[in-house]
Amino acid sequence: MAEQEFAYFLGCIMNNRYPGIEKATRILFDALDVGLKDMEGASCCPAPGVFGSFDRTTWASIAARNLTIAEEQGNDIMTECNGCFGSLFETNHMLHEDPEMKEKINKVLAEVDREYKGEIEVRHFAEILYNDVGLEKLTEKMIKPLNLNVAVHYGCHFLKPSSEIGIDDPIQPSILDELVEITGAKSVPYKDKMMCCGAGGGLRSRDIDVTADFTKEKLTNMRDAGADAIVNVCPFCHLQFDVGQVETNEKFGTDFDIPVFHLAQLYGMAMGVSKDDLTVDAHQISTDPALKKLDEITGGE
Amino acid sequence: MSFLKRLKNVFSGEKEPEKKDKSTKSEESKPPVEEKETKVQENAKEVQEKSKETKKAGTEKSVKDKPEKTTSTEKTQSKEDKPQKTKDKTDSEEKKPEKAETNESVKSEDKPKKERSESMTLLQKDRTIVTRSDVDENFKQEIMDAGAETVAICFQCGTCTAACPSGRRTPYRIRQLVRRAVMGLKDDVISDDSIWMCTTCYECQERCPRGIKIVDIVKIVRNYAAQAGYMGQAHKMVGSFVIKTGHGVPINPATKELRKRVGLDELPPTTHSFPGALDEVQGIVKATGFDNLIGYNWDTEAID
Repeated sequence: MAEQEFAYFLGCIMNNRYPGIEKATRILFDALDVGLKDMEGASCCPAPGVFGSFDRTTWASIAARNLTIAEEQGNDIMTECNGCFGSLFETNHMLHEDPEMKEKINKVLAEVDREYKGEIEVRHFAEILYNDVGLEKLTEKMIKPLNLNVAVHYGCHFLKPSSEIGIDDPIQPSILDELVEITGAKSVPYKDKMMCCGAGGGLRSRDIDVTADFTKEKLTNMRDAGADAIVNVCPFCHLQFDVGQVETNEKFGTDFDIPVFHLAQLYGMAMGVSKDDLTVDAHQISTDPALKKLDEITGGE
Repeated sequence: MSFLKRLKNVFSGEKEPEKKDKSTKSEESKPPVEEKETKVQENAKEVQEKSKETKKAGTEKSVKDKPEKTTSTEKTQSKEDKPQKTKDKTDSEEKKPEKAETNESVKSEDKPKKERSESMTLLQKDRTIVTRSDVDENFKQEIMDAGAETVAICFQCGTCTAACPSGRRTPYRIRQLVRRAVMGLKDDVISDDSIWMCTTCYECQERCPRGIKIVDIVKIVRNYAAQAGYMGQAHKMVGSFVIKTGHGVPINPATKELRKRVGLDELPPTTHSFPGALDEVQGIVKATGFDNLIGYNWDTEAID
């Protein structure tokens, strides 16, 4: 039995669209001997952009229900989606701080025989790797150096609001860059690195043209910096850079083709996990150029 | 002085040169340029005081205003008044709605000068007339009670708008949203489509020198917008997916295949695999009334 165990919160997009991220994460945590326990019957976090914007009570109630599943396990939650992290962390924080709100939400939860107690923490995959596992132990598992120039995309809800989350500086962070560079990849600086991908807050479903315009700006800056690939820690950003990159090309007549990897997939590549298991072949934007670059190196050895 | 001149040019348009002649004549006896500027400032104060009077006797004033302008002795003053007044106008949209009454008179004065105003569309855009009837006095308090107490301490520096990636490409102006919300312009704010252009990226909030929970304000305002029926169809659809499956993005056949291929269960261990868990989610949305809010039909499992 692993020393440490987390309640593994899947969310929606990772498990229902990019299962290679989930697979890579399970392989990585096995190798690190950190336990992941499924949160049986968990739902959508729920999406902060739609539920948080429509009705905060419903949003906090569904999120609190998810929290109670982890409370039953007695484990802190791990999620590798910034949106899920935002919803679950923020709800957990709010119910801690605001007894009135806690009472209100528990009244709703009582309808389905649940009670939020406030006994667990909500944590992000990348932050657990950085703080609990540590770069040193993590580096030991990376056996295949990745010769890639990577545009690191932090996303929004991983670090912000920083006054509540406090993982790293929200304007000039380094945590993800450090996590990426242990694979041998180089995190290239690029303009407006901390800018949003454009998908969040319900904007992608409300006005996809505006979302694509955000994405175009990010992609332009990433390409100008010579990025071979984009690395993210959020399946929604992941989807936006993957599916949204195709949409951006269609809308603006651009020809972006930058491969997209979730950090878990990047680690999978560095651990020698097959590309089949990473399901990168199911991405809209071909990952072949990046994978080919890796082969060039190993082929020459 | 050149600034004033420019303002004069902007607001008095073609009539400008002719007026200028007269003003120089009528000011022959008056002290030189510098003092004139002071005078303008005094005028500005006057205007503000006037607009306070206007509160009480608004209609009376605007009637009185026009004849004044035609008398040539008053001309200089009224001319210099104008830029100040109009400037006051842009602010007043955000200050006190009552001042709008003064603005009305300004507006009607300007109407005949259509020729030049057509080339000034950017300035014209701000000419929304706000009156007491637009104000919901409780709105600010409602926002504060809903968890964004800090809305009250905004001093309108505009750092938020400067940081906003959405504002760079859409009409969304977060500073204005906050101000209008504080003023109680509830209907104006919640019916504004641009409030849905926020991606909740928190760049505004991170930079706010007052530590205001700006994103919470946006969400609370959106909650009121949703209650009033300003919901995007696509958003309702996402809501309906969660009610129907427990997931905003439910599984599809292609992903089931992928999951099987990599050795994961075909369905994730979520509400997809546990019908009882889905019942709980549905119980929650019934308890909060979210199903009614988005118009979810339990029989057809779709949005009405």
